[in-house]
Parts: sequence; C-alpha cells; structure tokens
Amino acid sequence: MDPLVLANIADRPTRAAASVFGVAIGIVLIVVTSGLVRGMLGSTAEREGALGAELLFQPPGSLGAGLTTTPLSLPVAYAGALAQLDGVRATTPVGRYVRSGAGGLGFELVEGIEFEPRSGYESYAAITGMRVVEGRAPVSDREIVIDRQRAADGGASVGSSLELFGRRFTVVGIFEPEVGARIKLPLASLQELLGTEGKCSSVLIKTSSPEVQEAVAARVDEAFPGNQIIYTRDIPSFVAKGMPSLNVFLDVVMGLATAISGLVVLLAMYTAVSARTREIGILKSLGASRRFIVTIIEKEALTISTLGIVVGLVLSLAVGASISHWTQLIVKLDPLAAIKAGWVVLLSGALGALYPSLQAAKQDAVEALSHE
Amino acid sequence: MSRPAQLEIPAAMAADRPTSTAIESQRPVLEAIGLEMSYRMGSVTVPALRGVDLEVLEGEFLSITGSSGSGKSTLLHIIGGLLSPTGGKIFVRGEEMTSLNDSRRTELRRRDIGFVFQRFNLFPTLSVEENLRLAERIHNGGSPRHAGNAALRAELLRLLGLEGKSARKPRELSGGEQQRVALARAVINRPAIVLADEPTGNLDSSSSELVLGMLKKLNQELGQTIVMITHDPDAAAYSMRTIHMKDGRIDRVTRLQ
Repeated sequence: MDPLVLANIADRPTRAAASVFGVAIGIVLIVVTSGLVRGMLGSTAEREGALGAELLFQPPGSLGAGLTTTPLSLPVAYAGALAQLDGVRATTPVGRYVRSGAGGLGFELVEGIEFEPRSGYESYAAITGMRVVEGRAPVSDREIVIDRQRAADGGASVGSSLELFGRRFTVVGIFEPEVGARIKLPLASLQELLGTEGKCSSVLIKTSSPEVQEAVAARVDEAFPGNQIIYTRDIPSFVAKGMPSLNVFLDVVMGLATAISGLVVLLAMYTAVSARTREIGILKSLGASRRFIVTIIEKEALTISTLGIVVGLVLSLAVGASISHWTQLIVKLDPLAAIKAGWVVLLSGALGALYPSLQAAKQDAVEALSHE
Repeated sequence: MSRPAQLEIPAAMAADRPTSTAIESQRPVLEAIGLEMSYRMGSVTVPALRGVDLEVLEGEFLSITGSSGSGKSTLLHIIGGLLSPTGGKIFVRGEEMTSLNDSRRTELRRRDIGFVFQRFNLFPTLSVEENLRLAERIHNGGSPRHAGNAALRAELLRLLGLEGKSARKPRELSGGEQQRVALARAVINRPAIVLADEPTGNLDSSSSELVLGMLKKLNQELGQTIVMITHDPDAAAYSMRTIHMKDGRIDRVTRLQ
C-alpha cells in the first residue's frame, strides 16, 4: 500500500470514515435491494414450484404464473370439466389474493383452497401433499391455517388471530410442507370476502404421470382454447425473469447507488484536494508529474471505495439478516450481485475522483505553494 | 537545539562534484538570458522581471537579495521551472528549459532541481524518513516500491543532526529541524542546483546559523550548486557571490569570495 495514500487517509479519519460510510450505503442499497427481490421471488418460486400439479390452468389476461394471477375470475366449474379430460388424474381450484404485507412492507399472498374433495374435483391437499401437522383444518368462515415460516415471522401459533380483509381470523392449524401461499383459508370464505362466489383464480391439474403433461396440455388447450396453461416446472424461471419491471427497478436502484457512491467520492476527494493544495504544490516542486498526482488521488479514492465496499458488504449481511428476522420479507444475498455492486462502485469511485485529481494536477505550483 | 558535531559529506553524494576551489574552471550549470516576466492584474500588466541575464557556475553558492517586489522570488520560481517567463531563455546544464512543455519541464525539475522553502514545506502527514523517501520515489519514477537509498538517508540525517528523529512527524520537530529535513530532501537526489527561498526566514538566529552552515558545507564539500534568496545580509555572506535585485533587474553584483 502506498504510504502517502495511507498517511493522507489517516490524517483525516472523520472525513475518511464518512466517505467510507457513504460508499457503503451505495453497496447496501444495491446488495440488499437485489437480495430482497431475489429472496421474495425465490421463496415464491420455490413454493409455487412445489405445487405437486404438473399444469396450472388460468383465465386469459392473467399476467403470469401464481403471484400476478387476476383474482377469482375463473368459474370453479372448470375444475370439474378439466378433471374429465384424458390423462388428468385430479384437479382442484385455487383462489388467490395479494394483500400488503405486515406493517405495510412488501406483499403477501393468501390462498383460498378446498380442504375437502368436492363433487368433480379433489382437495388441494390431495394434489399438493399439504397436510395440517398441528391443530386442524378450518371448518368455519373465519379460520385459517398458516405454514411454519409464517408462524415464526408473525409470531403466530394455533389459537392466535390474524387480521385479513379487515376482519379477525383464528389460526387453527399449521401446515407442511411450504407450498403456495403461506396463509390458506377455505375457498368459499375467500369468495365471500371478495364477492366472487363460484369463482377461482386458477385450477391445478395433476396428470396421470409427468410424461404425459405435454399431451394433456394440448388436450386442455383444444378443449378450452384461449386460456393460459402453464407448466409448473417453468414457474421458478417465470418468477425469476418474468417481471421485467423489477429488473428495471433494480437497474434504477443500482444507478442511484452508483451515483451516490460516485458523488460521495467526488466530494470527498474534492475537499481533500482543496485542503491539500499546498501539498500538491510541494509535490510539483519535487518534480511530481501530473500522472503521479492523479495516481495518488485515484489511489486514495480507490482505497476509500474498497473500504466502503467491505463495510457495505458487512452492513448488507447485517441489514439483510435484520430484515429477515424482524419482518416477513426474505432477503437472499446474491454473491454475484455483491461482486457486480463492488465493481460498479469501484468504477464510480474512480470516476468520481477523476475530476478533482485532474484539477489538482493542473494546479499552478507557485499558487499552490503560497496557499494558506 | 542539537548541533551536529561534524559535517561530513556522505561518500555516495560526493563523487563527481567540483569543489569550490575549482569553480572558475567550471561551465555554467544555469544560464538566464533576457528573462522577462509580467503578471496581469485585471487590465493592468505588472512587470516583475525586466530582462535579467544570469549565469550560475557549477559548484557556485549564489545569493540573491533585494527588497520585497524586486523580482527575486519570481526569478527563483522561473529558474526552478515552476513558472514560465513571458520572455527570455533559461538553460539548465545546456538544455533550454523555456522551450520545454510542462511535462518535460517537470522532468527537468525532478532531475536537476532541489527546493528549500522558507516555510519548510514538508509533508505533515509523513515522517522525516517518509518525506525523504517520497523525494527519492518521485525522482525515481514514482513507484511506491522504490526503496530509495536507506544508507544515504541515514547518513544525511546524521550529517544534519537529525539522528533518532527519522520516525518523527514534522510537527514534532522544531523549525530548525524541519528546515534541516527540507535541506536533506533537497539534496538527497543530488540535483544540479538547490534553490533556497529565504531558508532562514522562519528561523531564530542559532537555527539560521546552523542551516546556513550546512548549506555552505554542502556547497564546499559536495560541490552542490546553491542559489539562495535572502533578505539577510549575514545570510548572504555565506555565499560566494551576491546579486542584488531592484525593480525586476539586477542592480549590482558583489563577489564575496
């Protein structure tokens, strides 16, 4: 490490610490935001991918798989009709509703399902393998079951109550495994709450064997053209890349964080150069070239940026863990995103220091030496 | 203040240098011909130098005196390549400095010029040793991996009475000690000329005497060419020749030795 650079940083510890923290904020912004999106989508994708059904049938105009499905616009009668098709072992209707998450943070999916088989179609549990492992299944309109993660996140347990749609619901059971939404209530309750009796969001189709799912999909399309048929095996990748607006959002966040880091470094180095005008004059009197002066300032900026990246990554781990612990949001930090953020912030730091370093290199030596 | 017991020039620095007794036979290390310099202050042009001709011989100790505004600092800055004159030419070791671009002039300064300033101008964040190493580093191309000459640094610090102070920061030294560090920094790369701008202007009399004695010794023993600006006639008396400046011109020249 360059002793002159280290000495300059050590000489102004408060300024250096503030700059490092500023850069770190940029890193936290990028890493935690992308981790949050990744965590939420990843978790959703995992649970959506574990439905047990091979096909998802939903009405036309639905935006995508699962999460963005238009709530309860598909007649439940489709479940029975689909069950009649060749190669279909069982079907079950599912109603879905997206509500804002606890404390207004994020969002939360609520599912209305059939806890018991009905005439013409099966129960949700029969297809997905879901089972109530603690307590019991809902038997009345104001009862729900939740999965273990939701119980842990919300501090809920069997017997406690949750507010949904402005009403109190009693948690009567805990289900396993994690599949679909973390909160489930009877489909009839959801229909009543939303005023959509006889409707659902989608129908899960379990085929007689996974090998025939393409053939079944073709038959479904032939029988009920114009609707959406989604292979559940594709849901994780749909979720991962199926929301272009999220990618745009992430790009905007990265751009903002990069700009913040660059500006922090620019301001830090600009004030440093102003404070060290005389020292730049000394360097010039010693015969230091413009390149040498630019290099020294750039090295300082890169050192500050590197420290900021390290501090930012540590802070990201802490912030990510805190968010996951204290809220229902899931943060999955992505090493690749962290590396990308590091490079981007390093580059913005170098660019931020370029202007002050060039200004320093251009300074008049005599004026710099007479600077008080 | 500690005074060095002896002023012995390090052997590594003493080679290939003329002694003061051989000055007359030396070629000029610096020549200034018709130097002119004027500053623009708004719409007014203020002349600082009005045709200065100057020749400094290798191994010479020259002092430049004059009142404030006489142009002596401007002359020193131009000789050192920190300023470009508006007219005239300067040759350093036969190379015309005034025709060089900024990059080449910087290179010449790095190679041939050592500065000592009234305000010491040491790097406050670096220790004595690091200040010297920085000068060596810049002289040798700028790489922080360049270790410099540790033996020479130690020898110079011993010579200047700064033994045991290599790890000190400038603020932990007296003014006289800081100026001696600045002197060591100026000569460590064996420049063709040391330019000293009022080197005793911020020192008490005993420190001044010590610094001037060291300049004299470096000149006599090492053959170091020195051009010193001073207001003080007693300081000028240490040199071989004094140029007195007035209104941007050389008013008179006094040969002292």
